[in-house]
Amino acid sequence: MAWGDDEERRFGGEEEEEELDENDYKTQKDAVLFAIDVSSSMLQPPPSSDDKKSDKDSAVTAALKCAHSFMQQRIIAQPKDMMGILLFGTEKSKFRDETGSRSGSGYPHCYLFTDLDVPAAEDVKKLRELVEEGDDADEVLVPSKEPVLMSNVLFCANQIFTTNAANFGSRRLFIITDNENPHGNDKQAKSSAAVRAKDLYDLGVTIELFPVSRAKKPFDLSKFYDDIVYRSPAEESDTSEGVKTSRSGDGLTLLNSLISNINSKQTPKRSYFSKMPFELAPGLTITVKGYMPLHQQKPARTCYVWLGGEQAQLAQSETTKVDSEARTVEKSEIKKAYKFGGEYIYFTPEEAKSLKELDTKVLRIIGFKPLANIPMWASVKKSTFIFPSEDGYVGSTRVFSALWQKLLTSKKVGIAWFVARKNANPVMVAVIPSGSLNDEDEDSTAPYLPAGLWLYPLPFADDIRSVEIKAPPKPADELTDKMREIIQNLQLPKATYNPLKYPNPALQWHYKILQAMALDEDVPDAMEDLTVPKYKQIDKRVGGYLAEWKEELADKAKEFMQLRATKRELEDDDTEERPRLAKRPKAAAAAGSTGGQMSNAELKAAWENDTLKKLTVAVLKDILTSKGISTTGKKADLLERLEQWIEEHA
Amino acid sequence: MADKESTVYVVDLGESMADCHNGRVESDLDFGMRYVWDKISNTVAASRKTWTIGFVGFNTDETDNDLANGGELEGYDNISVMQPIGPMSMTELRELRSKVQPSRSYGADPVSAAVVALHMVQQYNPKHKIKRRVILVTNGESSIDDEELDDIAAKFNEFNVELIVIGIDFDDPEYGFKEEDKSTNKKNNEKALRQLVDKCNDGVFGTMQQAVDELSIPRIKPVRPFKAYDGPLTLGDPDKYPSAISFHVERYYKTKRASPPSASTVVVNNNGFSQSQAFKDEDGDSDMGGAEFSGVKQMRTYKVNDPDAPGGKRDVDFEELAKGYQYGRTVVPFGESDLSITKYSTKKSFTIIGFIPFDSYNPFINMGETGLIVPQKMNEEAELGLSAFIHALYEADSYAVARYVQKDEAPVQILLLKPNTGLEDEFECLYDVPLPFAEDIRSYQFPPLDKVLTVSGNVLKEHRLLPNDDLKDAMSDFVDAMDLSNYDVDEDGKPVDYAPVDEVYNPIIHRMNQAIRARAIDPDSPIGPPAEILLRYSKPPKKLLEKAKHEIGNLIDAAELKKVPEKAKGRFGKKDAVKPLSGLDIDSLLGGQPKRAAISSENAIPEFKQMLNAAEDDETIEKAVKQMGEIVRKLIKDSFADVFYSRAAENLGVMREELLGFEMPMLYNKFLRALKKSLLSGELDGDRREMWYKHIIGGGLGLITKEELDVSDVTEEEAKAFAK
Repeated sequence: MAWGDDEERRFGGEEEEEELDENDYKTQKDAVLFAIDVSSSMLQPPPSSDDKKSDKDSAVTAALKCAHSFMQQRIIAQPKDMMGILLFGTEKSKFRDETGSRSGSGYPHCYLFTDLDVPAAEDVKKLRELVEEGDDADEVLVPSKEPVLMSNVLFCANQIFTTNAANFGSRRLFIITDNENPHGNDKQAKSSAAVRAKDLYDLGVTIELFPVSRAKKPFDLSKFYDDIVYRSPAEESDTSEGVKTSRSGDGLTLLNSLISNINSKQTPKRSYFSKMPFELAPGLTITVKGYMPLHQQKPARTCYVWLGGEQAQLAQSETTKVDSEARTVEKSEIKKAYKFGGEYIYFTPEEAKSLKELDTKVLRIIGFKPLANIPMWASVKKSTFIFPSEDGYVGSTRVFSALWQKLLTSKKVGIAWFVARKNANPVMVAVIPSGSLNDEDEDSTAPYLPAGLWLYPLPFADDIRSVEIKAPPKPADELTDKMREIIQNLQLPKATYNPLKYPNPALQWHYKILQAMALDEDVPDAMEDLTVPKYKQIDKRVGGYLAEWKEELADKAKEFMQLRATKRELEDDDTEERPRLAKRPKAAAAAGSTGGQMSNAELKAAWENDTLKKLTVAVLKDILTSKGISTTGKKADLLERLEQWIEEHA
Repeated sequence: MADKESTVYVVDLGESMADCHNGRVESDLDFGMRYVWDKISNTVAASRKTWTIGFVGFNTDETDNDLANGGELEGYDNISVMQPIGPMSMTELRELRSKVQPSRSYGADPVSAAVVALHMVQQYNPKHKIKRRVILVTNGESSIDDEELDDIAAKFNEFNVELIVIGIDFDDPEYGFKEEDKSTNKKNNEKALRQLVDKCNDGVFGTMQQAVDELSIPRIKPVRPFKAYDGPLTLGDPDKYPSAISFHVERYYKTKRASPPSASTVVVNNNGFSQSQAFKDEDGDSDMGGAEFSGVKQMRTYKVNDPDAPGGKRDVDFEELAKGYQYGRTVVPFGESDLSITKYSTKKSFTIIGFIPFDSYNPFINMGETGLIVPQKMNEEAELGLSAFIHALYEADSYAVARYVQKDEAPVQILLLKPNTGLEDEFECLYDVPLPFAEDIRSYQFPPLDKVLTVSGNVLKEHRLLPNDDLKDAMSDFVDAMDLSNYDVDEDGKPVDYAPVDEVYNPIIHRMNQAIRARAIDPDSPIGPPAEILLRYSKPPKKLLEKAKHEIGNLIDAAELKKVPEKAKGRFGKKDAVKPLSGLDIDSLLGGQPKRAAISSENAIPEFKQMLNAAEDDETIEKAVKQMGEIVRKLIKDSFADVFYSRAAENLGVMREELLGFEMPMLYNKFLRALKKSLLSGELDGDRREMWYKHIIGGGLGLITKEELDVSDVTEEEAKAFAK
């Protein structure tokens, strides 16, 4: 894909994660505009309470706090994506600084607090001052006396997206309001709003509604918003993800409720591949879409900054390719070749293409296995999530659901051959179900991940490292029993690893420092690292057990050491006691030569002392191979053949 | 594997090697050289100075070897050293290739040739510890003097040289090969060679068919085990709490993704005549021999925005730049020495956070490659301690979650530690996999798979999107029938998994390696098909499909799938009107207004789409496209530097998409042709090439081709040429 350098860096590279859908001409960026209703009811503080956990924020404050945390997360996780904040129903009106003359007339009672852009440090600061210090010098948070026209709000949003986020792949308007019926019975105002909403739909802007409800009363969408909100075009099925109302209560503050609802929309749902044929058997294909709910976030790389101007400015880099004589090379001259024996081996583009094309884009089941048959070490890469779509085959969803249910009940996985895109390298994957069949079972093992099927990449023989060390199994003993008690007393909360409780300290620190430097604030010198174990708790809970266990280990180790010393003395005269080979993949076993290195004299001695049978099959095979003798059959056969050879040759 | 190696290939080049035997269409020499070239090219590929190769031909027309050259010894005629021992590069390989041809001679003694080779390996760096090897390839037609075999074998043994004899059509009962009607001469020669090999301490005797068959089995590049961590694994903090325990462990990688060979970017060096390599250019002509490739380097230049500069940007010197980080769109410059202050400082450590039960972990949440953890060698406390820990985890059905810092200042990782008690594989260790952090999770919402929630909030358990009982049963039977876990049984009658991890090779890596080697050996041959073994696991095994035929049939019937026809979209109003949740017909609201006469620039996309939607004739469409075209041109013309380019590109993209839907590609192509002319001629107020190359071509907004839409008259080649 030929976007600029930055895009290549973002999408390309080794991982090739965010590969664009075919023929997508839009840049894969996301723009979110928060539209927050500033009405008197939204501004009303909650009833005071002595309970420390109770609500302290008005709905507007909660919404702004939400936007603030959203902005900070965005800077860390999606540094190229935009956001903006539009307040509506305000007494003051403001669109853009330069169009001051139009303010008041253009979009009355709409106040563009943060223009839609990649957030800058000042945006974060300004928002924080408003939210945390209640610093509203401009008196922005004053509700207007007359009602705002929703059609104006929507068209204002339209203009912001059109100019600031042109050609973005994802544009979303988050409306936060407690007013289910802004225009009452005013039909004219209602239909103007509906028309403006359709404009937004045609522009490709998705409206996400976050209704706020104070009382137990539900937010009635049918009064107004059903005419405004469209089902996301990506959603083919009849099902609706639903609009979730935020409210306080049930031990949850309004803020928490809102944050959790908004956070679930932090990243636009972007598919990694679509219209993937999923071949369950010959003649039985359904279509699925792929997603990447797991993605390793890393601190951004350094950039080059030009300090020659008034403000520090990012320097954009351009690369040109030059040959050995520093002559600029035209694109048409460039060829791809492979280094081999100090020279380049060349294939024509057609040949290179045919070499890579082992199969078309496909996910093909070759059979099923119990989940337990996947070795516990068989892991190389994060998994991809798949979900059915009806756009290739009608009925895909029900077949997918049937497969998902069967795999869950039988604890089985599919084994499949997978080519993610045209020209992508084929991989073998295990198709593993997530989620649970039981409605009541809230304790699904990964509640933070969706229910569906996962493509879990299996290693190839090439990916397995041979580790030629020995680690003979030892029997379990009293030490084991004691340790078991320790383990059972140190379970993680809810007996599960919940990644959401463990922010990456490197990322958090990086952005904390950067934020302070960008805002010219004091640089913090410490930070709580949630990945550090709770040492105090460990000591408190199992300190006694641990001390006991340590003592016993020391005793046992001493005994073992003595035993070993005695044994070693014996072995000094017993040269054939060779280290045993650790289990290695078969392919590598042939390369090993430990057994092959035994001299004939050693072999003969072993034969005479009757210690040959102590050798493992792998070692025997090595020896036999090195003698050019057949290595088929059971251990007894191998021994017989080796003994015969020693008799004849050594 | 970095050991030194010297191998001398001894190959029969006699006239009989030019014949084809046993139904093969290639000569014995070509057949045998398939094995030899493959071996040699492997050495070339490794590019190692310490892996040396020599080549001796026998039954050559000439005689050129040290033993005969002295004139004192007899029986060394028609044996030629065609390459003295030395490192092997492409140059040597090419030279050797031109020399390996069948001769018109016969009668040289293969064993004498082996002795020449023995002499060579023994003379080469005699003091160094080198793995020395002689590989003899013959069809066994040359007679052998078998009187001195004992002495010769003794020499091989004395100098620790391995002797490998691979005979063309030699009998090998173990491999299952026997040549019928073998001549007595060949029989005797085979016997003599087998005797020689048997007398050697280090000898292999085999038949060529087996050697050639095994070439297609991928060879895995062995990698030395890498010790990632060597230090304490702790439970508790030993610095603060005396109760904390700690044992010394070592951590190695168990899996590491192997990657296919990567291509370098090169250019043809037109003035390089130093080497000759015949290769085909894109048209398949071979007239470019004499060309040489050379690598391409990248030069970076840096630009900043400058309103006064032409085009709005100007170059800056690299020396003027400082390093920095971006915080949102704010750039924060740092001095080189300050850069590290944003780095979270860590100390090498490996410590347990807590434990979770086996069943609370799902394999798909792990983030990558596996490590393995064993106790430090000869450290009794570590050995016993770790062993007890592993057993206790296993008995408690638990995994440990640990915080891991590989070395000082390395990033923190969260690892899941899994116990392997070694009951099955004799290898007691912990395996570890990385777990995600909070930031690594994107919460995507999906509708449930076992029920349907309607817009009105009802829960449905029966729906066309949900499987009925027939489908569920058919699926269950199908999955059970297609089981791979007892596909076969081993010698002891135990079930064997089909496609176990260690028998499936990465198809691309080996396909590329095989093709590169083949091309290096023989630049003129076309690329062959991929080896069977590489595609073996791309489809279900035939046997299984046969077995599950009935279940597959049932499942297909129960699934009732319908393929969506390729083009569901039509022209004029056939599109389903899009409606909000309420189902309100917005078009009718719009219909109440007077028909849109003109598209405004500020709300261009919605108005364009709505105008097309309401269109009832081609004329309206043409009108809409014309107006949209004007808007695109104006945006570009008014754009200061590139500020409006994205907007113009978006409008153009919508135009393209809509006209694809209306199957009117000509309209788009016509506009684009005119636009290109304007862009490149400077007609739109300045240099607008960036708009063309980056936004239009780079954005996939080129001409609509026949491939994309049948009714287009533009071919793929035309579109490509037009894009330049």
